[in-house]
Amino acid sequence: MSFREHDRKTFIADTCGEYAARRISKREFIRKLGIAGVGLSGFGAAMLGGGRPFRGLDFGNPAFAQSGPDEAMMQWLSEVGKPFAGTTIRYTSEATPPTIVANQLAKEEFTKATGINVEIEIVPLEQVLQKATLDIQGQVGTYDLYYLDQSWMATFSQDMEDPREYYDAHPDIAMPNFDWDDFSKPLLDGISMFDGKLVSIPFDIPIFILMYRRDLYEKHGLKVPADLNEYMANVKAIQEAEKGNGIYGTTGQLRSGHYSLECDWTAWLWGNGGSIYNNEGMFTGGDEQGIKGLEYLMEISKNCPPGALTWTWDGEGQSVAQGLAGQVITWGEYFPSFDGANSKVVGLMEAAPPPKAISLRTPEQCGFNEIPNVGHQGGSGLGLSRYSQNQEAAFIFMQWACSKDVVGRGSVLGGGASPVRLSAFTDPRTLAAAKVGPGTTRHFPAVEETINTMMGSEPDFPAWAELSNNTIPVELGKFLTGQFKTPQECMDAIKPVADEMAAPFRKA
Amino acid sequence: MASSTIAAPAASRRRSWLPRWLTAESALPWLMPVIALLLAFGVYPLLYAVWLSLQERSRITRQFEFVGLKQWGIALTDPRTWDSFQVTLTYTLVCLAVQVVLGMAIALLLDTERRGYGLLRSLMILPLVVPPAVTGLMFLLMEDAQFGVLSYYLKQLGIIDPANPLLANNNTALIGVMLADIWQWTPFMVLIFLAGLRALPKEPYEAAAIDGASAFQAFRLITLPLLSRVIAVAVLLRSIDLFRVYDYIYVMTSGGPGTQTETLSFYAGRLFTLANFPYAATLALIVLISLNVLAAVFIKLFKVRF
Repeated sequence: MSFREHDRKTFIADTCGEYAARRISKREFIRKLGIAGVGLSGFGAAMLGGGRPFRGLDFGNPAFAQSGPDEAMMQWLSEVGKPFAGTTIRYTSEATPPTIVANQLAKEEFTKATGINVEIEIVPLEQVLQKATLDIQGQVGTYDLYYLDQSWMATFSQDMEDPREYYDAHPDIAMPNFDWDDFSKPLLDGISMFDGKLVSIPFDIPIFILMYRRDLYEKHGLKVPADLNEYMANVKAIQEAEKGNGIYGTTGQLRSGHYSLECDWTAWLWGNGGSIYNNEGMFTGGDEQGIKGLEYLMEISKNCPPGALTWTWDGEGQSVAQGLAGQVITWGEYFPSFDGANSKVVGLMEAAPPPKAISLRTPEQCGFNEIPNVGHQGGSGLGLSRYSQNQEAAFIFMQWACSKDVVGRGSVLGGGASPVRLSAFTDPRTLAAAKVGPGTTRHFPAVEETINTMMGSEPDFPAWAELSNNTIPVELGKFLTGQFKTPQECMDAIKPVADEMAAPFRKA
Repeated sequence: MASSTIAAPAASRRRSWLPRWLTAESALPWLMPVIALLLAFGVYPLLYAVWLSLQERSRITRQFEFVGLKQWGIALTDPRTWDSFQVTLTYTLVCLAVQVVLGMAIALLLDTERRGYGLLRSLMILPLVVPPAVTGLMFLLMEDAQFGVLSYYLKQLGIIDPANPLLANNNTALIGVMLADIWQWTPFMVLIFLAGLRALPKEPYEAAAIDGASAFQAFRLITLPLLSRVIAVAVLLRSIDLFRVYDYIYVMTSGGPGTQTETLSFYAGRLFTLANFPYAATLALIVLISLNVLAAVFIKLFKVRF
């Protein structure tokens, strides 16, 4: 993203902040946004769901606004950055909360202190993959850093420096007290490790948690479900009782052919005792537990608003905020938006870890480092390119973006950034924001517990990105719209492709 | 005469410092920049796509390996290729038919000197300046089962079932996407047909009126034959565009439900984003070849001359 574009976005963020703080009138707010070119396309983009699930960032929220930079950090940056002043580092990313925070603070703080310019190119996730693939194919180092989805770690493993080894090998630019142990082990294993190598530093952790309407639970005498059977019972109870009021049992991100559908499927597959691959590297979505998982998905879809079949993550989050659903197990990143502006459920939503699986396979029974559990994680990491021409400058930026200070401040941003560092959960700023209102962190205890005890991770092998973005969601879409007569037919259509793609990566 | 004889040596003196190849009568030096651009942005990408289509990208080494016509064999036996080809053809033919008929009808209505019609003709340009992706988003919102105004009225009229959203139904998803295309591109047809109508001579109509021809007869026997070349060019241009449709599909359905709205271009695009470059290039070349064949047949059949 160019700086001109950055300035435009900063202007929009500031304008929103001013309006939220009632410092400008609605007329002035609309006029300013008009100048910045915000219109129908901006609104529509939310429905498109090109990016990850979060509902806009509130840079005007008091918790974030009051969170100034750490003095010691600024001092270190200005000293360590001197030799690299004037260097420009680049990376491409999708518009996730940590990237937006880094983008916002890079110019104001990082570049100011170090003299290192940062250009962040923000594009939809699939384009991030395409650009990164082209870059490593030519090994030209167009990008110094890569934003890597957890499902790509295997693909890019050989093109990244191990950041921990790099840290040890370059003490002159190593950030004091970076504290590697502050990243929880399940996160490091689930997001950033491949084959014993740390491929990236965890940067973002969207994860499935349970979010439910407290008022509806009280009204119908429902309790927080302990397992997926109880969850389904709650879904049906609300659907039956409230459908006449336009409220459905649950909602979903079930658009055919989109990765979001695959994400939903995995949670129900794992939660019913199934897995994508067995420990021999063969697709097992069509075994007995797999079929139960698919039937569970179908049952869920019957209790969603009909539009859920056309929604990705943003449509799903929007439907909860508009009061259309009684509960949902999905990305915790939505939660702050439910307490934010334009929500019809302010203060009504509660968060909890997902209900327990009906049965669960162990990671040892699965293949390619798959970890079955209901708390599907869609995390990402920041990787340092082996082909970068500005590796040291990029590493300084990488440490800063993943530092305790920046992660902690990003966590109180209203867009719903989930913290990747343990310290962020106990940061006084985070704790102070745990109340109803924009930028709430009320859901963080549920997120933390899910990360530590219930996190599910997809398989790691280089062809997984293609399989999870194409064959699986396309065939699932056919199933949900009645193009297959039975769940078995659907899984049988996926199996040969899934087995063929995994074949080169099976252990002999 | 005297001035020209004096001016000629002066001109040659002025040109003498220029290199000989540049002052020669040959047009080649002046064509070189265009040829260079064509080679860089037309021929080279095409040859690169052909080269790619003969490769396979190893999932382990990530290097390209020459595999001959293997990708072509896979593509031509892949049921998804044929399904997407069929979707593409359906999309092209239906949209084209509706746009031609609607475009002609609106053009005939607007072909008048009455007050206010000039403004209406200008307004026809508006949909054309909206980027297709934005049009797709507009229709995605309008056709949303929960929030969409179009869905609401279609439900009220009993045309769609509330439990079956337009874009999530196997039978209506493609129609939902077509609506966006038809809304945006019918004005293009209107403008071309209007330009043609306004250029028609008045005499044949006067003669027909004297002979007692009805308005419909005049349209069928005079307007249509005289406009045939204009119509043919408009149809050709729109067909090429329709055959390559990508934006609306990407924005509105991601090719779904299943592959019900997956066109060839979208299928190729999806594989490009997933880094399966050789197979995607093969599909892109199939689009190119299909378009060339269809266009050539059309030009031959309707004797289109440019």
